[in-house]
Amino acid sequence: MSFYPEPTNIWESIEYSSLGTTIAESTWMFPTIETIHVIALVTVIGTIALVDLRLVGVKGHALRVSQLAKDTLPWTWGAFALAAITGLLLFVSKASSYMINPWFLAKLAMLALAGLNMMYFHMTTWRAVDHWELDPSFPTAAKIAGWLSLIFWLVVVFCGRMIGFTLGIFF
Amino acid sequence: MSHAGSSGGIASPGPVRSGGIDTGEESSLMGDLLFNFTEWLRNTPLNDVALAISESAPTLWIGEHFYAIPIFQVIHILAISASFAAVLMINARMLKLAGHSSLEDTTARYVRVLWWALLVLVLSGAAMIIGEPIRELINAVFWVKMILFVTAVLFTIWFHKGIAKRFTGSSEASGGAKLAGIVLVVLWCMIMTGGRWIAYNPG
Repeated sequence: MSFYPEPTNIWESIEYSSLGTTIAESTWMFPTIETIHVIALVTVIGTIALVDLRLVGVKGHALRVSQLAKDTLPWTWGAFALAAITGLLLFVSKASSYMINPWFLAKLAMLALAGLNMMYFHMTTWRAVDHWELDPSFPTAAKIAGWLSLIFWLVVVFCGRMIGFTLGIFF
Repeated sequence: MSHAGSSGGIASPGPVRSGGIDTGEESSLMGDLLFNFTEWLRNTPLNDVALAISESAPTLWIGEHFYAIPIFQVIHILAISASFAAVLMINARMLKLAGHSSLEDTTARYVRVLWWALLVLVLSGAAMIIGEPIRELINAVFWVKMILFVTAVLFTIWFHKGIAKRFTGSSEASGGAKLAGIVLVVLWCMIMTGGRWIAYNPG
């Protein structure tokens, strides 16, 4: 027997699905998934920032930026996959509340911008990394990509934190 | 990213819906332990300390500025990101999952990141305690997190001053060093878990 009203849109259909209601009704599932989401996101941001800071000119070690990226990327992608899965599960449990929350929508937009910035950088400047990584100063395009990445991820964290303060107050 | 976290707030387990369902999960040994610990904290002088801080000018200022706590939390999360990434990369090198520089160089590079991140972590954490003293200090999960944090710091000192010293000129980490590295990763995961569950502390 269902305790939930008939869904009136796709987001309510997702929220009232058995997966959505199972997570929402449990006292421990949401916080547990959220904890894994935080650990995954922290890993994504920490490992990306190591490369970004290098791109914008923070020195202090002899490791080439391409080697640094090779060391960090498997962690970044693995953690990103985990963050995406857990983020989806959190979303399913309260889909209609998230979809009207401006901070959630802004977080998605920032994630898209961070992804586009990374894709563009990898398809352009990064292709010639062998030619510039030993130079005393990196190309302006690499510095800009590093700064943009740092800013986008910072805003992703801020928006994510703001969701916690505002979820359920928008109708 | 987050569900709970409003000022002084303890999150509700989920949205109240028609026909609210009792999952029967409310009572658990861990929940009871944390509840009783929080109740005990309420009856210690710490309660007066927390109340005194809550009436101080900085706390009142933070309370009047909606964005202050989220900004402190963002700084705190970024500092954890740096600490955790540093610990992960040292481990990756020791376990040969990353191998582009020597053990000595890798450790020297990331331990420096780790110490700076820990400083920011402590400062932003202190700001959050001043901002919401009762939510933090009269909270069993907070104190569990603090014990784990102090353990992680002591462990890091031991790793830095003891284990890492033996990396000079060696290409492979010993079994003990690898184990210590893994323990640090687990400790940091537990600290982050504690950090998130402060919002869900029963009591």
